[in-house]
Amino acid sequence: MISINNVSKIYPNGTVALNGINIEIHKGEFVFFVGSSGAGKSTLVKMLLKEENPTSGSISVDGVVINSLKRRQIPYYRRKLGVVFQDFRLLPDKTVAENIAFAMHVVEASRREIARQVPRVLSVVGLGDKANVFPGQLSGGEQQRVSLARAIVNNPSLLIADEPTGNLDPDTAWEIMKLLKEINQRGTTIIMATHARDIVNYMRQRVVTLERGRIVRDQERGGYGIED
Amino acid sequence: MKIRTLGLQFRQGISGLWRNRIMSLVAVGSVTAVLLVLGLSLLTIININSITAYIESSVEIKAFLEEDLDTAQVETIGAKIEQMEGVREVEFETKETALEKYKEQLGDNSSLLEGLEGENNPFPSSYIVRVDDPNTIGAIADEIAVFEGVEEVQYGKDVVERLLNSTHLIRVVGTVLICILAFISIFIISNTIKLTVVARRREISIMKYIGATDGFIRLPFIIEGLLLGIIGAALASGLVAVVYNYFFVAMNSSFEGVFVMLSGYFAPFAETLYRTSFILLAVGIVIGVTGSAISLRKFLNV
Repeated sequence: MISINNVSKIYPNGTVALNGINIEIHKGEFVFFVGSSGAGKSTLVKMLLKEENPTSGSISVDGVVINSLKRRQIPYYRRKLGVVFQDFRLLPDKTVAENIAFAMHVVEASRREIARQVPRVLSVVGLGDKANVFPGQLSGGEQQRVSLARAIVNNPSLLIADEPTGNLDPDTAWEIMKLLKEINQRGTTIIMATHARDIVNYMRQRVVTLERGRIVRDQERGGYGIED
Repeated sequence: MKIRTLGLQFRQGISGLWRNRIMSLVAVGSVTAVLLVLGLSLLTIININSITAYIESSVEIKAFLEEDLDTAQVETIGAKIEQMEGVREVEFETKETALEKYKEQLGDNSSLLEGLEGENNPFPSSYIVRVDDPNTIGAIADEIAVFEGVEEVQYGKDVVERLLNSTHLIRVVGTVLICILAFISIFIISNTIKLTVVARRREISIMKYIGATDGFIRLPFIIEGLLLGIIGAALASGLVAVVYNYFFVAMNSSFEGVFVMLSGYFAPFAETLYRTSFILLAVGIVIGVTGSAISLRKFLNV
């Protein structure tokens, strides 16, 4: 599904963020990108979101080489992705339901579809009773669940989670991981960038470890780092 | 884009206005001010044009003929003038008519001219020439002056030139003024839109990740600019009508003589206002949309 071929990224100031990266990710996989800050995780995520372009090499998603996408094609590419961020990125002046419906307005979904999908994804993330509450009235974990609901409402084939548990306490983080696992089991490919050691070790999924812009390990059912 | 989406976008644009209502008010005020000045300049120019058009059209060349020309020679000169380019109308004035006209002008004192009829008539016969374009009047007069049988040519040279110069000046100054004002107003609008862009920055970045197209993201801001322009134009049109009405009434009632006469040549009230409002609306829309487009170009690039 995703094929990253010999990708390097050198920023204009000379920093080498990624150096000859090769990764193949298959449909339905759950993959962790781990490594300390500056290892290149975020750069890799940004490239998959088409926020950055590789300096050399190519990335293809679903058979489409995304390096060569034209500006006006990017939105349509992004509609295939769901994204979750560390800071939730919810709109504070919209209710939970409106935040999710907003993602559907953008892709011009019909009113009927919105009315059907919003309650459905809210029940998937276990917030069926919070539809008309504002994000400010929710806990961090609940907010992240809303952002997860928003990420999956348009049925993306790939979910990219950038440090989704970074702002959450361990118990709440586990709830989010359980949800991600569930979403993955429904067939969505998931890429999660993180440095949450416990989570990675417990989940026993594929782990790609980055260090100073290179892949140092790529293990099925792996753990976090050499110390394991 | 679907109609329903358009409706949502429209509501989004209105909510943008409302969200920054103070700044929107300032922007509308600026557009109104600019369009008010534009509207009044337009009305001034339209009316000066209307008055000068009347004066210009009444300006004519008088070509006095030599004595002792026979009828054939007179007719040849008339035909030659008629064939010239830019000549609209040629009228022959006999010695007798010239005398009669002068008598009329003298009125009660016309008896002074008694005994000048027939053989003793000192007035020359002449051709009265009207031209299409007042700007060419000098050149045409110079050409006629060298025709054989033409004694002398007269036209209101000074009056015409002064009028043409003044309308030209007003047109140039007006255009420059309007351009400067439009520029200022575009600047203010683009800054207002910028505030909404900044206020919605978070929303916009989320929209991008979700897969909103550039057009989808821009539309509410374009609508916002459009509304600022339209509201400003509506207010300006109203104010222009009030000011023009006041001016019109004042002109007609309080001035004597020449002003009352000139006010007769003002452009027709309702029609002029209607046209001016239409222009203001069009310019308001252009200013509003340009303002938001500039703002989006500068602040909406991710």
